[in-house]
Amino acid sequence: MKQTLQYDQLSCRLRVEGLPDVSVGQGAGALGIITGWSLQWAGRPELEGRKEHLLALMQVVLPYARYLISGVPRRFGADPTPVEIGPNPGRGHLLLLRSSQADTPPLQLELDDAELADLVRVLDQLRLDPRLQLQLELPSPLPLRARELLERRPLAQRLAAPLGGVLALGLAAGMGLLLPEPKPVAPPTANPSAVQQPPS
Amino acid sequence: MPLDPTAPEPSARLPRRGLERLDLLLLSVEALDLNGGESMVWMSEQMGFTKLFPNRVELWKRRCTNPLRRTTRRDGLDPVETDALIRILCSLADRLYPLLRGLLTSAEPAEVLSQRWDLFRGRLLELIRERMNPRRGGVQLLLDPDAGARQARQLVQALALGSGAGGFERLRASLLDAQP
Repeated sequence: MKQTLQYDQLSCRLRVEGLPDVSVGQGAGALGIITGWSLQWAGRPELEGRKEHLLALMQVVLPYARYLISGVPRRFGADPTPVEIGPNPGRGHLLLLRSSQADTPPLQLELDDAELADLVRVLDQLRLDPRLQLQLELPSPLPLRARELLERRPLAQRLAAPLGGVLALGLAAGMGLLLPEPKPVAPPTANPSAVQQPPS
Repeated sequence: MPLDPTAPEPSARLPRRGLERLDLLLLSVEALDLNGGESMVWMSEQMGFTKLFPNRVELWKRRCTNPLRRTTRRDGLDPVETDALIRILCSLADRLYPLLRGLLTSAEPAEVLSQRWDLFRGRLLELIRERMNPRRGGVQLLLDPDAGARQARQLVQALALGSGAGGFERLRASLLDAQP
Protein backbone atom coordinates (compact mmCIF):
# COMPACT_ATOMS: atom_id res chain seq x y z
CA MET A 1 0.00 0.00 0.00
CA LYS A 2 2.91 2.36 0.69
CA GLN A 3 3.67 4.63 -2.25
CA THR A 4 6.92 6.41 -3.06
CA LEU A 5 7.13 9.16 -5.65
CA GLN A 6 10.60 10.14 -6.79
CA TYR A 7 11.71 13.04 -8.98
CA ASP A 8 15.30 13.50 -10.12
CA GLN A 9 17.28 16.41 -11.41
CA LEU A 10 21.03 16.79 -11.74
CA SER A 11 21.59 18.41 -8.34
CA CYS A 12 18.66 17.15 -6.28
CA ARG A 13 16.27 14.24 -5.76
CA LEU A 14 12.85 14.62 -4.16
CA ARG A 15 11.28 11.53 -2.63
CA VAL A 16 7.74 11.65 -1.25
CA GLU A 17 6.26 8.75 0.69
CA GLY A 18 2.65 8.19 1.59
CA LEU A 19 -0.47 6.12 1.32
CA PRO A 20 -3.64 6.19 -0.75
CA ASP A 21 -6.59 7.70 1.07
CA VAL A 22 -8.93 4.73 0.93
CA SER A 23 -11.62 6.63 2.83
CA VAL A 24 -12.29 8.63 -0.35
CA GLY A 25 -11.90 5.62 -2.61
CA GLN A 26 -8.39 6.24 -3.97
CA GLY A 27 -6.77 3.38 -5.86
CA ALA A 28 -3.65 1.52 -4.85
CA GLY A 29 -1.43 3.61 -7.15
CA ALA A 30 -2.50 6.95 -5.71
CA LEU A 31 -0.91 8.96 -2.94
CA GLY A 32 -3.46 10.86 -0.87
CA ILE A 33 -1.71 11.02 2.49
CA ILE A 34 1.90 12.21 2.69
CA THR A 35 3.71 10.50 5.55
CA GLY A 36 7.17 11.93 4.87
CA TRP A 37 9.50 13.37 2.27
CA SER A 38 13.19 13.89 1.71
CA LEU A 39 15.22 16.15 -0.54
CA GLN A 40 18.74 15.00 -1.32
CA TRP A 41 21.23 17.57 -2.55
CA ALA A 42 24.55 16.77 -4.11
CA GLY A 43 27.20 17.59 -1.50
CA ARG A 44 24.71 18.99 1.02
CA PRO A 45 22.79 17.65 4.00
CA GLU A 46 19.58 15.80 3.23
CA LEU A 47 16.36 17.60 4.11
CA GLU A 48 13.36 15.74 5.41
CA GLY A 49 10.12 16.50 7.14
CA ARG A 50 6.38 16.23 7.25
CA LYS A 51 3.75 17.32 4.77
CA GLU A 52 3.55 20.80 6.33
CA HIS A 53 7.25 21.39 5.70
CA LEU A 54 6.98 20.28 2.08
CA LEU A 55 4.00 22.58 1.57
CA ALA A 56 5.90 25.45 3.21
CA LEU A 57 8.83 24.81 0.84
CA MET A 58 6.54 24.89 -2.19
CA GLN A 59 4.70 27.98 -0.94
CA VAL A 60 7.90 30.04 -0.95
CA VAL A 61 10.02 28.53 -3.72
CA LEU A 62 7.37 28.58 -6.48
CA PRO A 63 6.29 32.23 -5.92
CA TYR A 64 9.98 33.20 -5.70
CA ALA A 65 10.55 31.59 -9.10
CA ARG A 66 7.48 33.38 -10.44
CA TYR A 67 8.87 36.78 -9.40
CA LEU A 68 12.36 35.89 -10.61
CA ILE A 69 11.09 35.10 -14.09
CA SER A 70 9.91 38.73 -14.26
CA GLY A 71 13.31 39.91 -13.07
CA VAL A 72 12.12 40.83 -9.57
CA PRO A 73 14.13 38.98 -6.90
CA ARG A 74 11.92 39.27 -3.80
CA ARG A 75 12.24 37.57 -0.41
CA PHE A 76 9.53 35.07 0.51
CA GLY A 77 8.79 33.56 3.93
CA ALA A 78 8.82 35.69 7.07
CA ASP A 79 10.36 34.68 10.40
CA PRO A 80 7.72 32.33 11.87
CA THR A 81 7.42 30.28 8.68
CA PRO A 82 9.68 27.22 8.49
CA VAL A 83 11.15 28.10 5.06
CA GLU A 84 12.48 31.36 3.68
CA ILE A 85 14.09 32.12 0.35
CA GLY A 86 15.57 35.28 -1.05
CA PRO A 87 18.34 36.64 -3.22
CA ASN A 88 21.89 36.18 -1.97
CA PRO A 89 23.73 39.20 -3.43
CA GLY A 90 26.44 38.09 -5.83
CA ARG A 91 26.01 34.40 -5.02
CA GLY A 92 22.62 33.28 -6.25
CA HIS A 93 19.89 32.47 -3.75
CA LEU A 94 19.69 31.71 -0.04
CA LEU A 95 17.30 29.06 1.25
CA LEU A 96 16.76 29.19 5.02
CA LEU A 97 15.13 26.29 6.84
CA ARG A 98 14.01 26.80 10.41
CA SER A 99 13.67 23.80 12.65
CA SER A 100 10.61 23.40 14.86
CA GLN A 101 12.96 22.42 17.72
CA ALA A 102 13.95 25.48 19.74
CA ASP A 103 17.62 24.59 20.24
CA THR A 104 18.36 23.87 16.56
CA PRO A 105 19.76 26.78 14.54
CA PRO A 106 18.30 27.41 11.07
CA LEU A 107 19.97 25.68 8.15
CA GLN A 108 21.21 27.93 5.35
CA LEU A 109 21.67 26.66 1.83
CA GLU A 110 23.25 28.74 -0.91
CA LEU A 111 21.84 27.84 -4.31
CA ASP A 112 23.06 28.97 -7.70
CA ASP A 113 20.61 29.63 -10.55
CA ALA A 114 20.92 26.07 -11.88
CA GLU A 115 20.24 24.48 -8.48
CA LEU A 116 17.22 26.73 -7.98
CA ALA A 117 15.88 25.73 -11.41
CA ASP A 118 16.39 22.04 -10.47
CA LEU A 119 14.47 22.56 -7.23
CA VAL A 120 11.63 24.33 -9.05
CA ARG A 121 11.44 21.50 -11.58
CA VAL A 122 11.18 18.72 -8.99
CA LEU A 123 8.49 20.68 -7.13
CA ASP A 124 6.62 21.21 -10.41
CA GLN A 125 6.88 17.52 -11.23
CA LEU A 126 5.38 16.65 -7.84
CA ARG A 127 2.65 19.29 -8.15
CA LEU A 128 1.55 18.01 -11.56
CA ASP A 129 1.94 14.29 -10.90
CA PRO A 130 -1.49 12.66 -11.42
CA ARG A 131 -0.59 10.04 -8.79
CA LEU A 132 -0.55 12.74 -6.11
CA GLN A 133 -4.26 13.02 -5.36
CA LEU A 134 -4.01 15.67 -2.73
CA GLN A 135 -5.14 19.29 -2.85
CA LEU A 136 -2.08 21.50 -2.34
CA GLU A 137 -2.81 25.06 -1.25
CA LEU A 138 -0.46 26.94 -3.54
CA PRO A 139 -0.86 30.49 -4.83
CA SER A 140 -1.51 30.62 -8.56
CA PRO A 141 0.97 32.72 -10.56
CA LEU A 142 -0.42 36.16 -11.39
CA PRO A 143 0.89 39.04 -13.50
CA LEU A 144 2.82 41.61 -11.48
CA ARG A 145 1.53 45.15 -11.01
CA ALA A 146 3.48 48.10 -12.36
CA ARG A 147 4.48 49.10 -8.83
CA GLU A 148 6.05 45.68 -8.17
CA LEU A 149 8.02 45.93 -11.41
CA LEU A 150 9.23 49.41 -10.55
CA GLU A 151 10.69 48.03 -7.33
CA ARG A 152 13.32 46.14 -9.33
CA ARG A 153 14.90 49.49 -10.21
CA PRO A 154 17.37 50.66 -7.54
CA LEU A 155 16.01 53.24 -5.09
CA ALA A 156 18.58 55.85 -6.17
CA GLN A 157 17.51 55.45 -9.79
CA ARG A 158 13.81 55.74 -8.88
CA LEU A 159 14.39 58.85 -6.77
CA ALA A 160 16.70 60.56 -9.26
CA ALA A 161 13.95 62.22 -11.33
CA PRO A 162 11.80 63.60 -8.47
CA LEU A 163 14.87 64.73 -6.51
CA GLY A 164 16.29 66.38 -9.62
CA GLY A 165 13.00 68.23 -10.11
CA VAL A 166 12.90 69.47 -6.52
CA LEU A 167 16.54 70.55 -6.77
CA ALA A 168 15.92 72.44 -10.01
CA LEU A 169 12.89 74.16 -8.49
CA GLY A 170 14.88 75.16 -5.39
CA LEU A 171 17.73 76.44 -7.55
CA ALA A 172 15.38 78.51 -9.69
CA ALA A 173 13.73 79.95 -6.60
CA GLY A 174 17.15 80.79 -5.10
CA MET A 175 18.27 82.50 -8.30
CA GLY A 176 15.04 84.45 -8.31
CA LEU A 177 15.75 85.70 -4.81
CA LEU A 178 19.21 86.88 -5.88
CA LEU A 179 17.81 89.20 -8.52
CA PRO A 180 17.72 92.83 -7.30
CA GLU A 181 14.33 94.18 -6.49
CA PRO A 182 13.14 96.86 -8.91
CA LYS A 183 13.32 100.41 -7.56
CA PRO A 184 9.98 101.81 -6.51
CA VAL A 185 8.47 104.04 -9.16
CA ALA A 186 8.40 107.72 -8.07
CA PRO A 187 4.88 109.13 -7.74
CA PRO A 188 3.98 111.49 -10.59
CA THR A 189 4.64 115.17 -9.64
CA ALA A 190 2.01 117.85 -10.29
CA ASN A 191 2.97 119.59 -13.52
CA PRO A 192 0.53 122.30 -14.54
CA SER A 193 1.95 122.46 -18.05
CA ALA A 194 1.08 118.88 -18.54
CA VAL A 195 -2.51 119.49 -17.70
CA GLN A 196 -4.50 120.00 -20.77
CA GLN A 197 -6.78 122.90 -20.76
CA PRO A 198 -10.29 122.07 -21.70
CA PRO A 199 -11.35 123.69 -24.95
CA SER A 200 -13.21 126.91 -24.33
CA MET B 1 4.81 17.00 -22.05
CA PRO B 2 1.64 16.79 -19.90
CA LEU B 3 -0.45 19.93 -19.74
CA ASP B 4 -0.82 21.77 -16.45
CA PRO B 5 -4.45 21.07 -15.37
CA THR B 6 -4.39 24.03 -13.00
CA ALA B 7 -3.60 26.53 -15.77
CA PRO B 8 -6.54 28.87 -16.36
CA GLU B 9 -8.16 29.35 -19.75
CA PRO B 10 -6.64 31.96 -22.05
CA SER B 11 -8.29 35.31 -21.56
CA ALA B 12 -5.97 38.28 -21.83
CA ARG B 13 -4.01 39.68 -24.75
CA LEU B 14 -0.29 40.15 -24.24
CA PRO B 15 0.83 43.75 -23.78
CA ARG B 16 3.54 45.22 -26.01
CA ARG B 17 6.31 44.30 -23.56
CA GLY B 18 4.99 40.74 -23.35
CA LEU B 19 5.07 40.35 -27.15
CA GLU B 20 8.66 41.59 -27.17
CA ARG B 21 9.75 39.17 -24.45
CA LEU B 22 7.95 36.19 -25.98
CA ASP B 23 9.72 36.68 -29.31
CA LEU B 24 13.06 37.28 -27.58
CA LEU B 25 12.65 34.04 -25.62
CA LEU B 26 11.94 32.19 -28.87
CA LEU B 27 14.98 33.89 -30.37
CA SER B 28 17.05 32.66 -27.42
CA VAL B 29 15.89 29.12 -28.18
CA GLU B 30 17.15 29.59 -31.74
CA ALA B 31 20.46 30.85 -30.35
CA LEU B 32 20.78 27.72 -28.19
CA ASP B 33 19.69 25.30 -30.89
CA LEU B 34 20.94 25.80 -34.45
CA ASN B 35 17.81 24.02 -35.72
CA GLY B 36 15.57 26.00 -33.37
CA GLY B 37 13.36 27.33 -36.15
CA GLU B 38 12.68 23.81 -37.45
CA SER B 39 12.18 22.55 -33.90
CA MET B 40 9.44 25.13 -33.37
CA VAL B 41 7.53 23.94 -36.43
CA TRP B 42 8.00 20.31 -35.43
CA MET B 43 6.94 20.98 -31.84
CA SER B 44 3.88 22.90 -33.03
CA GLU B 45 2.81 19.87 -35.08
CA GLN B 46 3.56 17.47 -32.23
CA MET B 47 1.47 19.51 -29.80
CA GLY B 48 -1.49 19.69 -32.16
CA PHE B 49 -1.33 23.38 -33.07
CA THR B 50 -1.51 22.74 -36.82
CA LYS B 51 -4.85 24.56 -37.07
CA LEU B 52 -3.39 27.67 -35.47
CA PHE B 53 -0.06 27.54 -37.29
CA PRO B 54 -0.59 25.46 -40.45
CA ASN B 55 2.90 26.17 -41.77
CA ARG B 56 6.17 27.87 -40.89
CA VAL B 57 5.13 31.12 -42.58
CA GLU B 58 2.09 31.47 -40.32
CA LEU B 59 4.25 30.76 -37.28
CA TRP B 60 6.73 33.36 -38.49
CA LYS B 61 3.97 35.93 -39.03
CA ARG B 62 2.79 35.52 -35.42
CA ARG B 63 6.32 36.13 -34.19
CA CYS B 64 6.48 39.33 -36.26
CA THR B 65 3.98 40.98 -33.88
CA ASN B 66 7.07 41.86 -31.82
CA PRO B 67 7.36 45.66 -32.16
CA LEU B 68 11.16 45.39 -32.10
CA ARG B 69 11.27 43.51 -35.42
CA ARG B 70 12.50 45.10 -38.65
CA THR B 71 9.23 44.10 -40.32
CA THR B 72 6.56 44.21 -37.69
CA ARG B 73 2.86 43.42 -37.90
CA ARG B 74 0.43 45.68 -36.12
CA ASP B 75 -2.29 43.08 -35.51
CA GLY B 76 -1.85 41.61 -32.03
CA LEU B 77 -2.00 37.96 -31.07
CA ASP B 78 -5.18 36.24 -29.92
CA PRO B 79 -4.90 34.75 -26.43
CA VAL B 80 -5.25 31.25 -27.93
CA GLU B 81 -2.31 31.88 -30.27
CA THR B 82 -0.29 33.36 -27.42
CA ASP B 83 -0.91 30.34 -25.23
CA ALA B 84 0.07 28.00 -28.05
CA LEU B 85 3.34 29.88 -28.59
CA ILE B 86 4.08 29.83 -24.83
CA ARG B 87 3.39 26.08 -24.70
CA ILE B 88 5.75 25.52 -27.64
CA LEU B 89 8.36 27.67 -25.89
CA CYS B 90 8.03 25.76 -22.60
CA SER B 91 8.40 22.43 -24.39
CA LEU B 92 11.46 23.61 -26.31
CA ALA B 93 12.96 24.97 -23.07
CA ASP B 94 12.31 21.59 -21.46
CA ARG B 95 14.25 19.85 -24.26
CA LEU B 96 17.06 22.39 -24.00
CA TYR B 97 17.14 22.34 -20.18
CA PRO B 98 20.58 20.65 -19.98
CA LEU B 99 22.04 23.51 -22.07
CA LEU B 100 20.24 26.15 -20.00
CA ARG B 101 21.48 24.52 -16.81
CA GLY B 102 25.00 24.43 -18.18
CA LEU B 103 24.86 28.20 -18.64
CA LEU B 104 23.39 28.93 -15.21
CA THR B 105 25.54 26.67 -13.08
CA SER B 106 28.41 28.01 -11.00
CA ALA B 107 29.87 24.58 -10.34
CA GLU B 108 32.12 24.58 -13.40
CA PRO B 109 35.35 26.49 -14.11
CA ALA B 110 34.84 30.16 -14.95
CA GLU B 111 36.70 29.73 -18.25
CA VAL B 112 34.29 27.03 -19.45
CA LEU B 113 31.28 29.12 -18.41
CA SER B 114 32.69 32.16 -20.15
CA GLN B 115 33.12 30.19 -23.39
CA ARG B 116 29.53 28.93 -23.21
CA TRP B 117 28.17 32.42 -22.63
CA ASP B 118 30.29 33.88 -25.42
CA LEU B 119 28.95 31.28 -27.83
CA PHE B 120 25.33 31.82 -26.80
CA ARG B 121 25.58 35.58 -26.75
CA GLY B 122 27.38 35.65 -30.09
CA ARG B 123 24.56 33.70 -31.75
CA LEU B 124 21.88 35.77 -30.03
CA LEU B 125 23.49 39.05 -31.16
CA GLU B 126 23.76 37.73 -34.69
CA LEU B 127 20.02 36.91 -34.73
CA ILE B 128 19.13 40.26 -33.17
CA ARG B 129 21.17 42.19 -35.77
CA GLU B 130 19.58 40.15 -38.54
CA ARG B 131 15.93 40.48 -37.48
CA MET B 132 15.48 43.45 -35.15
CA ASN B 133 15.22 47.14 -35.89
CA PRO B 134 18.48 48.72 -34.63
CA ARG B 135 16.83 52.14 -34.28
CA ARG B 136 14.65 50.88 -31.43
CA GLY B 137 15.90 51.69 -27.92
CA GLY B 138 15.13 48.14 -26.76
CA VAL B 139 17.31 46.66 -29.51
CA GLN B 140 20.14 49.07 -28.74
CA LEU B 141 20.00 47.90 -25.11
CA LEU B 142 20.21 44.27 -26.25
CA LEU B 143 23.24 45.11 -28.39
CA ASP B 144 24.95 46.96 -25.55
CA PRO B 145 27.77 44.81 -24.08
CA ASP B 146 26.77 45.27 -20.41
CA ALA B 147 23.00 45.74 -20.52
CA GLY B 148 22.73 43.09 -23.26
CA ALA B 149 24.69 40.55 -21.20
CA ARG B 150 22.36 41.13 -18.23
CA GLN B 151 19.31 40.70 -20.46
CA ALA B 152 20.73 37.54 -22.02
CA ARG B 153 21.15 36.04 -18.54
CA GLN B 154 17.59 37.01 -17.64
CA LEU B 155 16.30 35.35 -20.80
CA VAL B 156 18.18 32.12 -20.03
CA GLN B 157 16.96 32.18 -16.43
CA ALA B 158 13.38 32.77 -17.57
CA LEU B 159 13.65 29.81 -19.97
CA ALA B 160 15.03 27.55 -17.21
CA LEU B 161 12.32 28.52 -14.71
CA GLY B 162 9.64 28.33 -17.37
CA SER B 163 10.66 24.97 -18.80
CA GLY B 164 8.27 22.07 -18.78
CA ALA B 165 4.57 21.83 -18.04
CA GLY B 166 4.91 23.54 -14.68
CA GLY B 167 6.58 26.54 -16.22
CA PHE B 168 3.74 27.44 -18.56
CA GLU B 169 1.57 29.26 -16.07
CA ARG B 170 4.56 31.07 -14.54
CA LEU B 171 5.84 32.20 -17.90
CA ARG B 172 2.42 33.32 -19.11
CA ALA B 173 1.85 35.33 -15.93
CA SER B 174 5.23 37.04 -16.40
CA LEU B 175 4.43 37.92 -20.03
CA LEU B 176 1.17 39.49 -18.84
CA ASP B 177 2.96 41.76 -16.35
CA ALA B 178 1.78 45.36 -16.29
CA GLN B 179 3.83 47.94 -18.20
CA PRO B 180 6.14 49.69 -15.71
